[in-house]
Formats: sequence, C-alpha cells, structure tokens
Amino acid sequence: MTTTTHGSFIIERRYNASPERIFAAWADPKAKRAWFAEGEGWDIRSYELDFRERGTETSTFRVAGGNNPFPPNTTFSNDTVFNEIIANERIVFTYSMARDGMRFSISLATVELHAADKGTRFILTEHGAFFDGADGVKMREQGWQELLGKLDEYLAKAN
Amino acid sequence: MTKLAHTTIVMERTYNASAARVFAAWADVEARKRWSAPADGIRIEYEEADFREGGRDVSRCIEPGNADYVATVTYIDIRKDERIVFAEDVTHGGKRVSAALISMALTPQVSATHLALTLQIASFDEAGMEQGYQFGWNAALDNLAKEFAQ
Repeated sequence: MTTTTHGSFIIERRYNASPERIFAAWADPKAKRAWFAEGEGWDIRSYELDFRERGTETSTFRVAGGNNPFPPNTTFSNDTVFNEIIANERIVFTYSMARDGMRFSISLATVELHAADKGTRFILTEHGAFFDGADGVKMREQGWQELLGKLDEYLAKAN
Repeated sequence: MTKLAHTTIVMERTYNASAARVFAAWADVEARKRWSAPADGIRIEYEEADFREGGRDVSRCIEPGNADYVATVTYIDIRKDERIVFAEDVTHGGKRVSAALISMALTPQVSATHLALTLQIASFDEAGMEQGYQFGWNAALDNLAKEFAQ
C-alpha cells in the first residue's frame, strides 16, 4: 500500500529585474537551463524546453559529486507541462519528479509576476502530492528557495 | 488580469465495494458518465477518453442555460486499485477558469473501501471554481455510491 501526503507552500520574493526579464529567464531554454538545471554536483543528462501552453519541459540530471546529499549516480528526472502562460504576468505548470525511474511527486505550481518598485514582486505557489519515500513539501520548498536564489544570481550576471 | 485563488479541498467517502470495483468505476468512462454528472439536467459528454498514464480525457459538462464547462484531464500516475493522480484544466465558455491537481486514493477496509479525494486548485476566477469543485465533486462522490447499490 502506498501513502500519499499533500502539501502546499508559497514563496514570495522581490527581484530587482523587471517582470519582462524574469519572464524571459523562464521562457528561453538557454536561460532557464542556466539557473534551473545547471548546478555544482549535477551532471545534466538532458534538458529540453518547449515553452508554450501544453508544451513540455523535460530534464534528467545525475549526481556527480559536490555537496550533493544523494548517493553517486542517483538520477532524477523532471517532466513538466505548461497549463497556462500569460507573457510577463503568469506561468502555471504541472510537473512530476522521479528518482531512478520511480515517480515520487506530482505538483501544480503557479508563478505570478507583479511590477513593483522598479523591480518585481514574485510569488510562487505550489501544491504537491508526495508519494512513498518522497522528499516532502519542506524539502521541495527549500529546493525552490535555492533555485530562486540562483535565478537572482543569473539575472545579476546577465545584467 | 484576474487574480489567482489557491485552495485545497479534501473529501472522503466509504463505499460498500472492493477497491477493485471502486477503481473500475473511475477507469471505465461509461461508468464515469453516470456518476460524475452532479445533478439532474446536467450531463457529461466525452470528446476524448484515454485512461492510462500520459493519456487525456476531454469532457464537456452541459447544463441548459449555462455555457459549457470543458475539462481536460491528463493522467499522470495510475496504480490499479490504489490511486489515480491527474491534472485538470477547466474552461467555461472558452475562458480558462482553473488548473487543478487531483488525487484519489483507495484504502481497503473490512468489506468496504475508503476513498480520499484531494483537490488542489488554482482558480483564475477568484473563488468561483472552488465552489464549483465543492458542489460538483461532492455530488459525484455521492452518486458513485449508487454504482455499488446492488
């Protein structure tokens, strides 16, 4: 018998970049790969982004050392479908994650961009279903905190 | 642009049927047409039905005097007799009104089956779809009991 736990979280933060620049960093495959997929300790096996409604984003990444908490060669995959896209304002997507081929979570996430103070008020809301051995909602929220920090660094560098 | 509203709704029922029978009533589109219509005068028509992981259903909820609700379901995770997880996008009169992640989990009990339905909803029309989901799924889960009534 499997157990499923459900949870939700909201991350709100401010970026100095405009909504247009943040949106572009989600829409452009090169940009998205740079802040979302690439990272120390990860070997990106594949990355594809087709950023349009009903389009998909798929990535596969393998543990390759660094400060990674997972055993060597553990392979994760992310399969995303975009439900709704409003340029410079909103992105809604559904994604599932698997570890070594075993699906462990399915989520619905929304990103909202609001122009504020020469920058952007950014709101990510995620609802998830986490299966057996899942990393759970706390780890997921922490993962997004790190990714959104990487997005900030990417935007600063690309400036 | 309309504001997003987020909500989670949990519904539970216990049915006098095996988990296999309850699961079959979800897997079979003909059974689903019977129990998923929430009220007399409302009917559900399927334009596409493909119950498998990665498969898609497109159904139309038709109520006289109201624009159709069209639901596009993508099945993400299916474990026979145990659980179904799917994403659902709904439009009303052609306008997108919500995106939801829906999971249904079955737990066998002594000569019965417990069903837990978790609806995680991002609604694009303020709280309108939250009420729609409450009404629609509560009625549907009550109807489902009738599938096992003999």
